[in-house]
This record gives sequence, structure tokens and C-alpha cells, in this order.
Amino acid sequence: MSDEIRDREMRGLREDVSAAHLPETGRIVETAPVKEPQSPLEWVRYNLFSGPFNSILTLVTGFLLLTVVYQAFGFFFLNSDWRVIQVRVKGYMVGGFPLDELWRIWLSLYAVTALAGFSAGPTIRRPSRRGIVVAVVVAVVAVAIVGYAAQSNLVRLLAAAVPLAFAVGAVVGRVTPRGPRRKVRLWGWILMFPLVMVVIRGFDGVPPREWEGLFFNLIAASVGIFASFPIGILLALGRRSTLPAVRGFSIVVIEIFRGVPLVAWLIFSKFVVDLMLPPQLNLPDIIKAFVVMTMFSAAYIAEIIRGGIQGVHSGQYEAARALGLPTSRMMGFIVLPQALRATIPAMIGHFISLFKDTALFSAIAVTDLLDSSLRLGLEFLGQEAQTLVFAAAVFWMIAFSMSRWSQRLETRLGVGER
Amino acid sequence: MLRIAGQVLFLLVVAIVLREMYLNATFQLGQRGRDLSYEFMDSRAGFGVKEHFISYTPNRSFWNVFWVAVTNALAVTGAGIVLATLLGTFLGIARLSPNWLLRKIAQGYVEIIRNIPALVQIIFWYVAVILAIPRLQDSISIFGIAYISNRGAAVPSLRGGDDFGAWGLFVLAALIAAFLVRRWRTRVFDETGEPHYRFLWSSGTFALVAVIGYFVLGDPWTIEVPEIGPRNLLGGIGVSPEFAGVLVGLVVYTAAFIGEIVRGSILAVSKGQKEAAEALGLKPGQQLRYVVLPQAMRVALPSITNQYLNFWKNTSLGFFIAYPEIVNITRTMTNQAGHELEIFSLLIAVYLSVSLAISFAMNLVNRGIALKGVRT
Repeated sequence: MSDEIRDREMRGLREDVSAAHLPETGRIVETAPVKEPQSPLEWVRYNLFSGPFNSILTLVTGFLLLTVVYQAFGFFFLNSDWRVIQVRVKGYMVGGFPLDELWRIWLSLYAVTALAGFSAGPTIRRPSRRGIVVAVVVAVVAVAIVGYAAQSNLVRLLAAAVPLAFAVGAVVGRVTPRGPRRKVRLWGWILMFPLVMVVIRGFDGVPPREWEGLFFNLIAASVGIFASFPIGILLALGRRSTLPAVRGFSIVVIEIFRGVPLVAWLIFSKFVVDLMLPPQLNLPDIIKAFVVMTMFSAAYIAEIIRGGIQGVHSGQYEAARALGLPTSRMMGFIVLPQALRATIPAMIGHFISLFKDTALFSAIAVTDLLDSSLRLGLEFLGQEAQTLVFAAAVFWMIAFSMSRWSQRLETRLGVGER
Repeated sequence: MLRIAGQVLFLLVVAIVLREMYLNATFQLGQRGRDLSYEFMDSRAGFGVKEHFISYTPNRSFWNVFWVAVTNALAVTGAGIVLATLLGTFLGIARLSPNWLLRKIAQGYVEIIRNIPALVQIIFWYVAVILAIPRLQDSISIFGIAYISNRGAAVPSLRGGDDFGAWGLFVLAALIAAFLVRRWRTRVFDETGEPHYRFLWSSGTFALVAVIGYFVLGDPWTIEVPEIGPRNLLGGIGVSPEFAGVLVGLVVYTAAFIGEIVRGSILAVSKGQKEAAEALGLKPGQQLRYVVLPQAMRVALPSITNQYLNFWKNTSLGFFIAYPEIVNITRTMTNQAGHELEIFSLLIAVYLSVSLAISFAMNLVNRGIALKGVRT
């Protein structure tokens, strides 16, 4: 598609759609007839009432939808007391994190959003009209929620600085030339997690047992992502190895960790694993839980990467061999880069489910977002519906944005097109 | 030579680590005066379980209560994967419906449900929906024969008399007869082209033989209608709130994923197939039923198998709402008897073997529906 046409489409000029079917030579290609612009009434007839069956379907689903909307409206705006969220919001976000140390979390949040803006900034195109509408709606909802739930103006101000950090990052990203930008992006994301850890823990920081609320869920998911990745690669290579001992070992590890649910593994980490470790070791519960979760996640990553490796064309192996590369370099420089690129969508999918799985940590007495939303106290007894809906909404927003980001990445990288 | 030496060294390291773990375990257990053995499993369990599909009392053994846990988890899985498949297939088809409203609702369902943790959903269903329906005394009555309350729900069931087993033989005979009649009608249709009415014929035969059996044996069973008891619903087939919570939560969750798989698989069936079916004059429902879905199923099956495996493992989330499934019961067993290692090894074994069984069964199905003569 030529730049001119892309520009037109972006500006929402659709009147000349048929021009898109004109190839460079100017020969007219036969295409499906261009649909006449419809009036709203025609649209309704065509999409909702095109036949008796379709009409009944529309009426039934419309009735169901109205019932749900009616109930939801009552729940959100009329029948529920949302004060519990207002009172508890700090607990949901960071739990018992010491108030004096909260700047560590804000700082980390700014760093992450600024880097996100830096990475995403250059890919932002002029938005379509629909995109603007969606963005405005999201912004209004976000302002309303934050404005309602925040406990002080200081918090509102600090929260308002988050999109600002994103914007600053995006602007910096746009003016940085492509070469340095890619380097900063890569190293930024690799170093971000250790950096956050230093900000949180370093300089008389906050120990892991005080990490609670949503903050805990995010940290646990990040630990899972960062730590399980290298182990997953090793296990995947092990499973593809020609050495029977290594292959057998990898298969056993992968299948055992994948075959047993994470809840059971977390309980294993708290109550069973101590028996098998030297008594003097005495690791904190949360470290053991992180290790076990990492192995669980690595087993899944190994299977994803194995799929990617199997998808690499055999000609690539032959070419590498023809160049005289030894196995380690063939894998490291030829096979893995291609395999990893192909697995990006599956990998993000796994990270989303890992993030959702962090809700299971309440099984071992960690006060994560879900757990704290179930601790209501006497004042708010019986208001689980509100707190659970709030927790679900928070989980949803993060998981949903990750999946949208994954879709964008997929189209940009053209996975599955080469 | 080097390869072999390397592997031996690798195995040696693994063996040393495992041995170290074993020595640590026996040492620490020895300090507490215990040893590694499964003998305790034969002793009295001593704790009650609210819900069991096989007979159980606290006087039975640990083995017994362990099997209760396994059957409880299997019961949820069995009922759940059937329901999730039906709902998921419906969602997948709805997402491709020409009806704009239905399509958008299905899309909204999938986008919302997929991105909320299953555990949050199960707890929501259990705490905010099921426990919020009326108490036992004010149960919702459905024509006085079925009840829904926050202590569970119950529908009428068959209560077998003395001749129930004999009637079972009649049912078996009825099934065989129905099958033969169906074959006969198919042959008639193939040879003469007369309308076959297969379904009417075979179900009629089945009902006839079963009813004859009922009257020959003289009331082999009666219908038992549930009643509101002092603490629970009595009689009938009932489900507990916990069972319902796990089941509803996981069905709703898994169906969203199955819906996406079905949608993808329908899109993967080449467009010409649908056009050909249309050209043959099949109605939209028939196109789907006879042409598109059978082919889509072939594409979908491996991914759906994965969802079934996930469902089986996700029954462990019942732990959080005290449904007596495997994690929950093994926790109680550990509290009663200690022996953490032995009990956890049983847990691993049972999760892995059921997963293997599901994969195996689905492989058989896959072989059944795969294209004949094509090696995959």
C-alpha cells in the first residue's frame, strides 16, 4: 500500500476506497462490489433484522442485554455503597507498605511508565476518530475512579503525574534516533526489574514480607517473568537435546511442574519443601514460593519455546552447519533468535496468565489484591460484591491492556507472515 | 566418548542432589520420630467430608478419603467440560454470527471473562452470588419439586427399588435394540431413499423396551422429590454451594477460551467449503452442522484438549472456597497425620495420571475424527 493511501485512510477519508484496488499498472482488478453507504435504518435491517430467525435472535439477546445492563446499573450506581473502596484503596494497591516509604513505589511506577512511553511513543500514529472517543472515555473513567478513591489531594497529584511520565517518555522516544532508541529500549527493559528491586529494597528499603496488595501481584508476576525465562530456555534446549540423559531429565521436570496446579505447588513450597532442604537453610516463605512459581512458569515457557524451535525451518540448521558453526552457536545465533521471535504472542499470553495466577498466593497467607479485597472487617461486613468487583476490574485492566499490546506487537512484527 | 562422560556426570549431579534431599528428609523426620512410609494411609482418617460421591464416614481410612477427594475433583471436571464445551461452542459460533448484537455480546463476554483470574470469578460466584440467594427456609421453589437455596440446590431423582438392577438390564437391552433399529432404518434409507426417521424410530424403540421393563418388574424405581430439611435439602440429586461455585466459575471461564478456539477453527475451514454447502442448498444451520463444524473440530481438538487439562487442574481452585477437592483434602490429611512428603507425592501422581488419561482419551477421539488415510 502506498503512503498516500495510508495517509488518506488515517485521515478517515474513505470516499475513494475503490482507488485502493488499483494496482500500480493501472489495470482494474475485479473485486467484490463496494458496499453502498447505508443509512442507519438500512444498517439495522441488514445487521439485526435480516430474517425471521435473525429478528428473534436480536429480540432475545437484546432483552438479555437490557436485563444485564439494568442490573449492572443498579449495582454500580444505586444499590451499592462504594465507601469501602475509598477507605481501603491503599490496602488494595500496596497493603501494609509503610507510608514513609511509599515514594519508592511511586518512583518505580514513574520509571516503568516513562520507559513504556519511550518504547510506545514512536509507534503512536495519528489516532482515528474512534480511537479518540475510546481514549476520552478511558480517561474520564480513570479520572473519576482515581478522583473518587484517592485519599488525599497529594495522591491525586501523584497519580496525575503517571500519564505525564508516559507522555514525557513518549516525547523523548520520538526525538531519539532509531539506533540509540532501540538500545535504550532493550537495556531499559532488561535492567528495569533489578532497578525497581534496588529502589524498593535498597537503602534501608522494605523487605518482601511487607509487599502486599496489587503491588505484590505485579512484583510476583515480574519475578516469574524474568527468572523463568532463562530456565525455560535451558529446559527447552534440554528437551531438544540429543543426549538422552539431559532430554529425559528435562522432560520429567517439565511434565511434573506443568501437570500439577500452581496452588498445590505453592502449598508445597510452604509446607513440604523445607523437609528436603538442609535444616539450617531456613529460607523465608516468600522466596521459596517465588522459586517454585518460577519453576512452574519455566516449564510452560519451555514448551512454548520448544514449539518455536520446531517451527524454525530445517534449512536454517543446514545453513548454520554449512557455515561450520558448532551446536552452541547455531542455537544461540541462528535458531533461538528466530524461535523466540515466533513465540512472542504465546509468551505474552503466558505472562498474562501468570499475572492472573498471582491471585493464588493468598493460599499461603500472602495479602495480595484478591486476599485484601476479602478482608472487610466489621464495618463493611457483607460487601464482598463491591470489593471483588473492584479487584476483578483492576486485574482486568492490566490483563486486557497486556493482551491489546500483544496484538499490536504481533501486527508490527508480522509474526506468522514470513 | 565425551558425550557419554558428560551425561554420566550430569546424572551423577542429579542423583547427588536427590540423595541429599532424601537424606535431609529422613534426618528431619527421624528427629521427629517419624519415617517415610505409606502405612498410615490404612489408618482411620477421623475427619468428616461434607460432600462425597462415594460412600465415606470419618471411620474409613486415609486411602478412602483420598479417593473421595479424587472423585469430587473428577465430578466437577466431568460435568464442567461438557458444559464448557457446549457454552464455548455456542460462543464461538455467536462471535461469527451475522447478527451484530449477538456477535458483540459474545465478543464482550470473551474479552471480559478471559482477562479476570479464574479464582476471582469462582470466589465472586460463591460469595457474592450463591451465598446471597435465599436461605434454606426461604428456598426458591420450582413447582414444589426442585429447590434452590444458599445451602445447595436439588432436583428430583430416581430411587431404585429391589429390582433396579434387573431394570438396568432392560435399559441395556433397550439401547441395543435402539441401535439395531437405527442401523435398519439407515439401510432402508440408503437402499430405497425413503425418509429414515432414524431418531424417532430408535428413541421410540428405546422408550418402548424401557417402559415394558418397568411394568414387567413392577415399579423398579420411584421418583424422589427433594424436601426442605432442618439443615439441608433432603433427597433428590443435589449440589452443594461449593460444588456449584467451582462448577459455574470454571465453566464460565473455560467457555471463553473454548469459544475463541472454536471461532479460530471455524475461520480456519476454507471458505469454499461453506460456499459449496450453500450451493448444495443446505440451510445455514445445516451448513454449520454437517460441513463446517466437523472440519473445524479437527483443527480445534488439540487446543480443546489443553483446555480440558486446564479445567482438571483448575478444580484445585475449589480449595479457596472449601470444596473438598484434592488440595483441600490433602491439606486436612496432612494436618491429621503429618507425612507431608508421602501425601504430596500422591497428589502429584493423581494429577499427572488423570491428565494423562484425558490426553489419551482425547487422542482416541482425535483418531476417530481425523481424516482417514492421512498421516499426521
